[in-house]
Amino acid sequence: MIVKRRGKLEIIADILRSIQSKGGNIKPTHLLYKSNLSHAKLKEYINTLVQKGMIAEQQVKGKKMFVMKDNGHKFLLEFDRIKEFSDSFGL
Amino acid sequence: MVFENIPYGIPSYVFGPKWFYGFDSIIELIAVVISILLVYYSYKAFKLTKENKYAYFSTAFLSLTAAFVIKIIGTLAIYKPTITRTAIGSSIHQTFNSLTPSNINSLAFIAHIFFMLLGFMILFLIISRLRWNDQRVIILLVYFVFLATWISVIHYQFFYLTSFAILMLITHSYYKNYIRIKSEKAKFVFIAFSILLISQAFFIFVIYSNTIYVLAELIQLLGFVYLLIPFILIFKREPKRLRK
Repeated sequence: MIVKRRGKLEIIADILRSIQSKGGNIKPTHLLYKSNLSHAKLKEYINTLVQKGMIAEQQVKGKKMFVMKDNGHKFLLEFDRIKEFSDSFGL
Repeated sequence: MVFENIPYGIPSYVFGPKWFYGFDSIIELIAVVISILLVYYSYKAFKLTKENKYAYFSTAFLSLTAAFVIKIIGTLAIYKPTITRTAIGSSIHQTFNSLTPSNINSLAFIAHIFFMLLGFMILFLIISRLRWNDQRVIILLVYFVFLATWISVIHYQFFYLTSFAILMLITHSYYKNYIRIKSEKAKFVFIAFSILLISQAFFIFVIYSNTIYVLAELIQLLGFVYLLIPFILIFKREPKRLRK
């Protein structure tokens, strides 16, 4: 079976979904495990997402966590709509 | 049917009964609005994802939009010749004073044929997943569109026959897409194109009765309405993951 490589946007969507599935905040180690990326690659993506205001790094109960922001929710909503549009119209 | 010879032997076509004049323009205006929505959203998807398939889809519906707008202008020239007495109409009329409403209708019909076939052809290329990087395929298909337009000017039925054939391939691809993903929205897209296919079958025979033209236009309207349904459904519901 040929496994299709994920595109940049799909990786971003997967990272955001991982955070969302954990109620909007996630520990860095959990995110690394769930995102299926190397530590270096994940760090790159995290920096991009923080810069774009999709996620933020926060201290929750003394622990470092990544928290999903409104821009992240908006991106995910739009990404899922485009995916549905693409599937429905056979693109 | 209005059939008048103009320079270069291009005939003028109006197929509907007199009482239907203008109603077909309204139907085409609805098709324009729905096409523009698809153009806008697929272009937005292209801007976000940078995936060419969205740009091609947008171009396909832009071509169909152009086809319908041109047809509206062409038929209005016959339905409402008084339009040439309006400010814009008279300035256009003075610029192209050799053009009669019938000339405008004929030229518009040729452009309509070209853009309709081009739009359907691009759509066929995207959804059948032909390799876009093979430019020879594209050149051949664009040549085919020009050829089909040329022949259609002489035999209008060839236009509807060609669009019927391309739509049949498109509908088949959408049927396969529906079987593959089994979603309600994909089903609506498949139904929409099936209805558009039926409307093209009716258009082939419009020369025999103007009632057939009315039926074809109404079926086409239904097809475009069905095309709007999946689009609305996508925006109506929030993805499951975001529901609380």
